[in-house]
Amino acid sequence: MDAEAARPREIARSGAADVAIEWADGHHSVYPARTLRLACPCAECQDELTRRQLVDAAMVPEDVRPLGIDLVGSYAISVRWSDGHATGIYAFRSLREECPCEPCRKALGATIRARRSR
Amino acid sequence: MTRSIDPVADQPDEARVREALRAVVDPDLRKDIVSLGFVKDVRIEDGRVAATIELTTPACPVRDELRGQAERAIRALPGVTAADVRMTAVVPSAPSVTSLIPGVRNVVAIASGKGGVGKSTLSANIAAALALAGARVGLMDADVYGPSIPAMMGARETPADLGDRLQPVVRHGVKIISMGFFLKEGQAVVWRGPMLHKMVQEFLGDVDWHELDYLLVDLPPGTGDIQLSLCQTIPLTGALVVSTPQDVAVDVARKAIAMFDKLNVPVLGLVENMSAYVCPHCGEHDDIFGAGGARRAAERLQLPYLGAVPLASAVRERSDEGTPIVIADPTAPAALAFTRVAELLAAQVSVRRLALAGTAPIAVTF
Repeated sequence: MDAEAARPREIARSGAADVAIEWADGHHSVYPARTLRLACPCAECQDELTRRQLVDAAMVPEDVRPLGIDLVGSYAISVRWSDGHATGIYAFRSLREECPCEPCRKALGATIRARRSR
Repeated sequence: MTRSIDPVADQPDEARVREALRAVVDPDLRKDIVSLGFVKDVRIEDGRVAATIELTTPACPVRDELRGQAERAIRALPGVTAADVRMTAVVPSAPSVTSLIPGVRNVVAIASGKGGVGKSTLSANIAAALALAGARVGLMDADVYGPSIPAMMGARETPADLGDRLQPVVRHGVKIISMGFFLKEGQAVVWRGPMLHKMVQEFLGDVDWHELDYLLVDLPPGTGDIQLSLCQTIPLTGALVVSTPQDVAVDVARKAIAMFDKLNVPVLGLVENMSAYVCPHCGEHDDIFGAGGARRAAERLQLPYLGAVPLASAVRERSDEGTPIVIADPTAPAALAFTRVAELLAAQVSVRRLALAGTAPIAVTF
């Protein structure tokens, strides 16, 4: 991934509580609040070795939303969530890789299939 | 400003002087000094031209060449009898330096993959060399496990507390903070990650650094908690990676480079330390750790190579005495090599700044 693709130009609110990122290469991503919370990459929510999500979806309120977003160095953001959780550091590169928009999903699927068939 | 309004065609005027100076190109920034906005003041009086060139670092490695070129370019103009170019420097600030250290313009981490490659010696000498060139320099010793900066800089006093703000110790023109100031001799730090994270934040936010052109951070070896904390707490201008020449050391240095890449911290360059050993008795060279490993790695990874520093006992002796060799014996081969590294590093910081000049900081409006 080139540097432009993994550098946000703007991080803003989309709708009531979703997170929108406009990337330096012009791409636009919208991350639904609850999906982002359940994908929290902190050691409490994700197994450090297998990357399996450990967070119990039943424990996360349906209407969970970010209360604030802070930059972490020059490579990530951290999110303060309404359920009190705040330890996740979301790297720009992973956010871009996991952009939920349709074309990105398709491209990622193709990459994974290509990797498997090799 | 006096401006020539002489109607005679072959008299120099400011426009012609500026036009002539377009021929002077900064080799690092790859632009002419007029486009870069370096030409600040042009005065002309009876064919005598005086100009001021404002560089982006006082430690510019090509300062004298640029000055010579500029004077020659002006002298070549018709009607010019004398040219006098004055060199100054203002280090530009990062576009989005954190509010944690508002007066600090650039933060550069000095890192290595493995220990024992002379990272602290290099940090102390680069800091002293930049200060000697006229820059405002801070040196944060983040090597909690083996803080050696106080000894190398001859700084043994405890930093004063002003309210709840720590005052850095000033030695050889460098503002210094180190865990070594707070430990008794022989005392060791056995800390877990969260404590280290807190220390990094305090060394940045609770220290009165005031205005600094460069804050150098001497990291412990490796790719661990301190490195991560530093990269998470502030946006670094970049990192300098040090290695000794042999392949195993270079291989580990590449891990440090991979870490910075992951954390979006640009690597400003590679330095080869403990390069050839020069025997003080017979003058013979011996490549104890091999030669050229860092240069080859830099070429392969397409990173700037900032030079090699020879292995010389004088470097260690001066450090033990508490005065970096760039100050104690500035014309020694190792001192000249350290100074060159410092200048090339300053140039790379300027290159980085220029590259960032067009990019706005990330706007968070959530």
